[in-house]
Parts: sequence; C-alpha cells; structure tokens
Amino acid sequence: MMDSSSLSQPEFDYLFKLLLIGDSGVGKSSLLLRFTSDSFDDLSPTIGVDFKVKMVTIGGKKLKLAIWDTAGQERFRTLTSSYYRGAQGIIMVYDVTRRETFTNLADVWAKEIDLYSTNQDCIKMLVGNKVDKESERVVTKKEGIDFAREYGCLFLECSAKTRVNVEQCFEELVLKILDTPSLLAEGSAGVKNNIFKQKPPQADASTSSCC
Amino acid sequence: MASSSHSMAEREGGGGEEEEEEDETLEELEGFDDFTLASSWERFISEIEAVCRLWLVDGPKNLMEKSAESVGSRKNLYKVKCELKYGLKLYCMEYYFETSRNGKAAHWDDDLHDLQLSFGVAEFLVIAPLSASGVVLDAPESSKLLSAVAIALSNCGSNWPAFVPVHDPSRKAYIGIQNMGTIFTRRFDGDRIGSQVPIRLMHLEGLYELFVSKFALSSVDFSTSCFKVRFTMKLTYRTPPYDDDEIESVEREAKEPGRDPDGLNLIKTQWDDDCPWTEWYSAEDPVRGFELIAVWLSRTFEGSLEMAELENASSFDAEKWLIYPIVSPNMLDDSVGKFVGFASQLRLLVGALDMSFEAQFLEDFLSAENPGSDISKSSTAIPPPTVLDRVLKELFHDGIQGSDCVELENKYSRAIKGAPLDSLFAQFCLHSLWFGSCNIRAIAFLWIEFVREVRWCWEESQPLPRMSINPNIDLSTCLIHQKLQMLAICIRKKNLFNHPNCTENKDHNSSDSKVDFQVDLHKEPMDDKSDSYYSSLRSDWQHDPKGPKQTRISLSKDPNDVIPSTNLQPVDQVRKGSAGVVGSMMLLNSFQEMHSPYTQDAPIMTEDMHEERLRAVEAFGDAFSFSGQLERDVLSSDMSAFKAANPGAIFEDFIRWHSPGDWEDDEMEDKSRDDMSWRPHGKLSQRMSEHGNSWRQIWNDSPALPISEQKPLLDPIREGEKVLHYLETVRPHQLLEQMVCTAFRASADTLNQTAYGDYKHMKTKLSQLYLTLASSLKPLQAKHWPNKAELIGDLKQLCLVFEHIEKLVILAASIHRKLLKAPRLSEAIFSDYFNFYLPKMGTSLTSMCYDEDFDTKQQVMVRERDAVASLFPPPTANQSWRKVLSMGNLLNGHEPILREIIFSVYDRVSSGHYGSNIPMATTEEIETHRMYICGTSNDLRAALSVTSWD
Repeated sequence: MMDSSSLSQPEFDYLFKLLLIGDSGVGKSSLLLRFTSDSFDDLSPTIGVDFKVKMVTIGGKKLKLAIWDTAGQERFRTLTSSYYRGAQGIIMVYDVTRRETFTNLADVWAKEIDLYSTNQDCIKMLVGNKVDKESERVVTKKEGIDFAREYGCLFLECSAKTRVNVEQCFEELVLKILDTPSLLAEGSAGVKNNIFKQKPPQADASTSSCC
Repeated sequence: MASSSHSMAEREGGGGEEEEEEDETLEELEGFDDFTLASSWERFISEIEAVCRLWLVDGPKNLMEKSAESVGSRKNLYKVKCELKYGLKLYCMEYYFETSRNGKAAHWDDDLHDLQLSFGVAEFLVIAPLSASGVVLDAPESSKLLSAVAIALSNCGSNWPAFVPVHDPSRKAYIGIQNMGTIFTRRFDGDRIGSQVPIRLMHLEGLYELFVSKFALSSVDFSTSCFKVRFTMKLTYRTPPYDDDEIESVEREAKEPGRDPDGLNLIKTQWDDDCPWTEWYSAEDPVRGFELIAVWLSRTFEGSLEMAELENASSFDAEKWLIYPIVSPNMLDDSVGKFVGFASQLRLLVGALDMSFEAQFLEDFLSAENPGSDISKSSTAIPPPTVLDRVLKELFHDGIQGSDCVELENKYSRAIKGAPLDSLFAQFCLHSLWFGSCNIRAIAFLWIEFVREVRWCWEESQPLPRMSINPNIDLSTCLIHQKLQMLAICIRKKNLFNHPNCTENKDHNSSDSKVDFQVDLHKEPMDDKSDSYYSSLRSDWQHDPKGPKQTRISLSKDPNDVIPSTNLQPVDQVRKGSAGVVGSMMLLNSFQEMHSPYTQDAPIMTEDMHEERLRAVEAFGDAFSFSGQLERDVLSSDMSAFKAANPGAIFEDFIRWHSPGDWEDDEMEDKSRDDMSWRPHGKLSQRMSEHGNSWRQIWNDSPALPISEQKPLLDPIREGEKVLHYLETVRPHQLLEQMVCTAFRASADTLNQTAYGDYKHMKTKLSQLYLTLASSLKPLQAKHWPNKAELIGDLKQLCLVFEHIEKLVILAASIHRKLLKAPRLSEAIFSDYFNFYLPKMGTSLTSMCYDEDFDTKQQVMVRERDAVASLFPPPTANQSWRKVLSMGNLLNGHEPILREIIFSVYDRVSSGHYGSNIPMATTEEIETHRMYICGTSNDLRAALSVTSWD
C-alpha cells in the first residue's frame, strides 16, 4: 500500500486469487500452511480470514498466488461471503474422517459459491483432507469423485500432515486456471494494478517456489 | 447442348421467319465480314448476335460467376446486361435466366418474374432503350427492334424468347417473339386497361369468352375440336383497414409534453393496450393487415356457364390458401428517431452517460452557466414541475410494496448488473428514460428530487416503496440498488428500535422484551439446509454425556484462563438474553443447563463494503491478527451474549456451543476425573487449547452483556446515513453507468413479459439479447475506461441491437394476438419474417436497405382457415358504402383486391410432323394459346402467348 512504485516491473506474470472453504476443522489452514511453508502445526482456529501469498512457477509462468483461508464456523459464513469476490479458484475442503463435513459441501458450501462467487468461470476443486487417518476414513474416494463429477470440480485426496498430494492440489487448480482464457485475462499482471500494491510481505512463505 | 450442330439448320430456317419483318437490307446471311458494306441495322444485329453468342457459350453457371446479378429478392432468377448502340440511340439488352428450376414452374410460383408469369416463359431477353421511361414509344421502332433481336437469336440458334416494352410505361405492355425450332414461332402480346374496364371483362364469363375469341382469330383450325380450356385462378384478399371511426385520441399528451409527438399521431387504435410496454409508450402496430391468397388449381372448362358458376363459389372452395402479413415499412427503417421505444430512449440515456463526465456533481448540470454553447436547447430542456410531481408520485406513492416476482424475469436477467424490474431504482431508471428528452440535465434534476424523496422516507422512518423485504442484499445487483436495499433494512431496524412492540420478533419471551432487532443465531434460517446443518450440530450436543453430580474442579490447565468468580459462586447472577435451553447440555463448572443466547445478526454489507474489507485484509497481508476485525466483533458479541445468558459459563462451554468441532470427547485421558462423571467428558481440541489462542483472548476480553445492551454490529442510523451520503454525492458518471445497466435490464425485462406464444426464434433471440447485454455492459463496471469514445460507440450499437429485438417482440405480439387460434400458422408467419429480418441484425453500423417488401407466404391448413377468415370481419355499414362490389368470390363480404387467371389450350400434335428440335412439345401436347389476366374491376392486364406455324 505504501510503496506503489515497486509495481512498475511486476515480478510475476499472473496473479491468481484462490479461496479455501469448508467446515470448521477440516484442515484448511493446515493445507495452506503445508503448501506455503511446508510445515504442519496445530493451528489456532481461523477467525474471519487469513491469507498467504506464494510465488510459484507453473506451466512456465511466474505466478503469484494469493490464497485466502476462511473460517469454517457457521457463524462467520455470511461474513465470509466477502472473500469469494474475484476468486479464480475455490477449493472446497472436507475431512475424510467426518462425513458431515462432506455432506455440508453439497448442502451448504456449493450453494455459497453459487451465491457469492462473482466469477462465472471460476474453477472449483474438491479436496478430501486427512487421508493419513486411513483407518478412520468414512468418506470413500468414489463418493468424492461422484460429487466432483456432479458439481464439475477437480478432485484430489490429500493429507496436510503427511504432505501427500498437497502441492499437486494447488498445481492442478492453477493449471486449470491457466487453461481458462477469461480467468487468465483477469489475473494478468497489468489488470490488477489496484490490488497488492506492495511487495509480498516478508513472510516465510513469500518466495518459496514450487515445482 | 447440341446447339452448335443445330445452328446451321436454324440459320437457314431463320430466313423464312424474317420475311414478314419489314426488312429490306438483309439479303445474305453468310460471310458478313465486311462491315463497311453493312448498314447500321445490320451491324446492330450482329452486335446483338455477338453478345447472345457469348451468353450462350457461357451458360448460366459461368454467367453467375462472372457478372450476373440476382433480380430482386428472387432466389433463383439472375440477369446479365449489355448496352448496345443503334444510330444515336442506346439500348440495353438484358438476359434473364434461372439457375435451379427443374422443369416448368408452377403457375403461381411466388418467385416468378412478371414476364415469366404473364407469358409462361422461363429464361428471356428484354431489350429496351436507355431512356427515362425505358419504353419504346413508337410502333415501327419497337417492331424493328424486336425483329433485330429475333434475327440475331435465330442466327445463333437460340430459343430464347425476346421482349420489347411498348407504349406508355404505365401500361406495362410488351410485345415479344420466340423462335421455337424450324416450324413454330410463339408471339407474345401484353397490355393493360387502367380504367373503365368493360363490364363484360369484369366477370369470369367475359374473360373466358375473351380468351376463346383468340382462337377464332387464329389461323389454326380449331373448329373441329371442342375447346377444353384449362383454367387456374388466384385471388388475393386484403384485410380491411382499421376503421377510422375507431381512432382514439391517444392519452399520452399529458404524459410527455417535452417529447416531440411525431410518429404518435399515426397510431390509430390502441392495439397494444395490454402489452407490457404500454406503461411507457404506445407502439405502432407493425402488422398493417394480412393478404390472403386463394388459389384454384388447374381445371378444365368447356363453357362460359361453368365460369359464371365458379364466380359464385366461396373462397373456402379454393384448393389452397396462402397468407402473409403486410408489415409496416417502419420495421425496416433504423434511422435514428424513426422508432420510439425503449431502444430510442436508451440511446438518449447513453448520450447522457457520455455527457456525465463533464461535471463533478449532478448539481453542476443544473447550475445556470453550465449548458455548453454548442448544446441545442431541446437537448437540455427540463420538464416542468407538474411532470416531476407525477413521476415522483408514481414512484413513491402508487407503488405497491415490492414483490419478488422473479419468475417473470429471464433467467439471464441477473447476469446484468442492474436492479429487479419492480424495484425502486429500476422504476426510477425507466421513468428517467421518458423524463423529458432523457438528457443529462433532466436526469440530474430527477435524481436530486428522487434522493430528496428517499431522504424524506429515511427521516420520517417510512418504508421505502418498491423494495423487497428480503433481509439480505443481492450482490448481483447494481450498487445503488444494494444501497437502497441497505437503506430499506436500516429503516426497518430503526423502526424496530423505536417501536419494539410492533416488531417481527415474535419469538421473544417477555423477559427479553428489550432485545430488539436481533434474531437468534439458531433461529435465523438461511435456508432449509442450514437448519438441517444445525440440527446435526445439536444432535452432537445431545450425545454429550452428563451426570447428576455437582463438582467444581476446574478443567482448565491454562494459567491464562481466567474464569474468575463464576467458579466459586453459585449462580445467582441474573440470566439475560437467553433464547432457551440448548438441548440437554450442561455447563461444565456449574450444574446448570446451557442457555443459547440471542445473538446479533451478522451485519449485512453492500458490495463496496465487502471490497473495503478485502482491501483491508490485503493491506495487512499475512499479519492475520489484524484481519477479520468484523469477525472478531461478531465473535466477541456472541461471547458476551453467551456469558450473559449463562452466568458461570467458561470458555469451554462456549466452544461446545459455538464450535462443537473443537470439543473432543475423550474419556481415555480422564483418569484424574473419575469422580466427576456428571459432567461432560472431553477437552478442547489441540488448536483451541494452545497458548495464546485468539479465541480465548477474545473470550477473556468480552464482558457479559446481552445483545440488548451491546453496541449493535450494524448501526442502522450510521449505515442509513452513509447510504444517503452516497446517494447525495454519487458522481454523475457513476450514477449514469448504473442507470444504463439498470435501464437496459429493466427494458429487456419489460419486453420479456410480452405474450407472444411459443415463438422459438423470439425466445432464443431474447435470451441472446440478455447475454449480449450482460457482456456488453460489463465494461461499464470497470473502474477506468481506457477508451471512452469506443465504449460509448459500443453502447449505441447495443441500442440498435435492442431496437431490432424490440421491434421483433412488438411484431411477435401483434401477429400472435391476431392469430391466437392458429398458433402453428402464426409462428410460421413470424418465423418467415424473422428470417427476412435476420440479415439486418447481423450488420454493424450501416443500416441495411431492403429493396423488396416482405411477401413470403405461408400456406394455411384447412383447420386454420376459420381463424384466418376471422381476420376478415364482415364489413360494417360504414365500410360497405365505399365500394361497389363488382367481382365475385367474396370472402366474408370482401371482394378480392386482385384476380389473376391463366387460361390455356393445348393441342395434340405428333412429334414427327414438327421435327425433333422442339424442346417443349416432344411428343404429345403443345400449349397453343395461353392468356394471363390480372386485375380488378377497374384495372385489367392481359397477356397472350400464341404459338403458330407459318
């Protein structure tokens, strides 16, 4: 905000906004932490929204990903609607060991997307988290695939704890966005000059690159 | 084909033909190389011949590729032409040919050229002087010309018939000749009587005798045969014009004094009285009437008596009925100002948008010095106060409370960032379209008064009219509409605050009467599903184990956990703001049932508020402890309310109620607490129990306060004032941008309500319109317009697109209501016109000109005849005196406006006798006489073709 001069030479080709949604405690923040700083911690529950920036190079393009992590608690849901605006990708997370977190995707979250997403073409992705707890699994992979087919989403199962599939999840989503011209146009560095005026914060995650 | 092998023979035969022409110069045909000896007439003939040879060699296919042009809108007739000089005069010779007709055309084929219809020919030549009239006036000249062509054609062995126009152009008279092989010659003669038609020739009987009399004059011996005359007839009826007596003086004069009334005077009847657009304007009926064509197919007659009988036949006896609408030529006229409707007003609004950048505030447009010198007076006029009063009254007082008639809107409507049709802002926009000349000054004037009226509602706590009672803000609408929704909600909340007893909070129990505009978190259904979501949460709570024993051992391991006196004191504090007991849950530390508190509504936000929050988060970046202030406020409010409703509750209690996922039932680790079996076993999730957990910090900081004593999350007074501030200071271009979007959407929504049956084309086109609007209006939402002029140009173009659709909708409505009982037919007619109109819609800025009127006919099914006949109401007394009926075959008392007849006689001939070069009559019959008669009782045209051998 303060030094807008640094924008003169954008250090990335595209800026994409991604949003994580899903019930409380399914591991949205953990996924984000694993992806941005490759660590795993029990995180304090998100209040409102958290967000991290990560620079990656995918498909030969330098990308700046702004990943928004929302609070899953029911009470914050209407407030969360703000953060859907302008997202090019939305990741719906559920916990494979808790069925209600899966059923709520159809009952609650998919509707929220319809209601609040301002982007017709935005890419949706379904992610089943906590596959490390295979013994406690109650939602099968097939159910996940069926849901993804019905709602037109990408689908992956992953574990923020063991890193399994975490990077792939973000990568696939970004590749799909790169394939969608209208989203690409929005994300191109020149357009978004009113947002992210400052350099990425000096947070641990800001410069690690993926792939 | 084999024409080259024939040519020799035909040349020789040709000599015989020419004898009757008054030529003196042509002695020999061969070896005409020395043009110095030739007369100018000979040179003329050879010139014609050369051209004809070229055309013959090329054939239709090549000619099409070269220079042929199509004739009018006819699909399959083309012509090539060339200019020839003879003496001092220039002539133009045209060759008309068809490309795809297989065999002979049907008698009443629509596609026929006048000469084809009149004389029963397919391809033909026309030669005419290049003069103003294009007609050969003097008789010797015409016959000389015709014989020149005949000689030339015969020289190159062509069978083309050739025509020369004669007499006055109004007579449409032609003479013609066709060389038909070695023996036959066909001669053509057509003429017209423009007035004073002999009574005999007004009736079928007389016309029949006229035709028969032509045999007697002929040299052929017909006397032995009984005349079997083939006959076919086509009658055209036109629906009566609307009676002038029904002209209603249009009730619009009071409506828009500022508007120029031209075009409106033409409106004769309020045909569109119940159409959705009549609230705003009256449209000219694009369907002027219908023409019905009744065709009697070919039959054979043997006497004039039969003809007389036929004249009495009902038109219902005709084998074929065809119909087409007479569509007003204004349909095709896109010139600006010709059509007055939404499209024309939208164009003015776009103009106002263009002007809106010239000032900072709307008031500036009204100040005296502003009007630029180059602006003409009419485009800056502001309607008088009486008009303003009427508009404001309609907007604010006549309006019913907003109803959500979403079902009337097209499903794509929401894609346009406007406002619902019935809403206050959409109605404001529609009124603006018709307010004066919709110039920027008139709009500024209306807006300022509009906002003043809105402020009055706010100050007086009057509900805003035309606003839905939806408690949420629809973010797909334009910002002004969102702001008005916000204001409507603030007014409601303000009223609840002032008069808590007349509220909608019915579920408050008496002890909570102070709780005003808040609704319980768990009783605020977002939708059905969220309820079930809750019930699933609740069932979790009910599984919690509980016991009767009371213990008071602190569960807390966290030194920061300050749960001060509540642990020690029996609960004697006053419980406040409880919405009831939560299932069978017990508080952890006190043997008390858990109460669910009333909680505040999550604050509603308009789009700009959402964006402000986004920006705030972005600005703070990763330092998330600063973000989510609103969420923190909500959480703190919930905690305060929970504390107030549950004196003695601890943080864990709150978590169990608020975020049940963070309470883990875990009896394994409860070794030390065997004796407290009454209390729910379990612990906070890892993440909730961590040191420095922000939830616990907020818990510690939140005082126990029922929501009635809390600061409201949404301060209706402040938010309401903010809305009014926005409305009062909105930049002119911001207002106009939103008005343009909303006006386009509301206009489309209005048209979309039109009843036009099931016309597929129209439905598709309307849906396309919505998509086009949505995508074309999208750039308006961008903060900066890189190229304003281009955008304004695009919007004007969009108005033209809109005009096309608007006209088509009006046409569809008109056709639909006129043929309600024949839906198939009406859709077919519309779809014909639609296809006729379609090329217009494809073109860009240039308005497309149509040389031909629409005349595609639709066949009427037998079961549809009644519906069509009802278009011809029996004439009123007033109408019948105008016309003396003199023709037969009346339809509901209406005589045809045109009668066309073709008589023909055939003669059986043997092919051997006539040689093998006759293409038409190879073996059995040849049409020896054919007469085409066309006209009414006072206008008669006849064309005769006679085949003879000399």
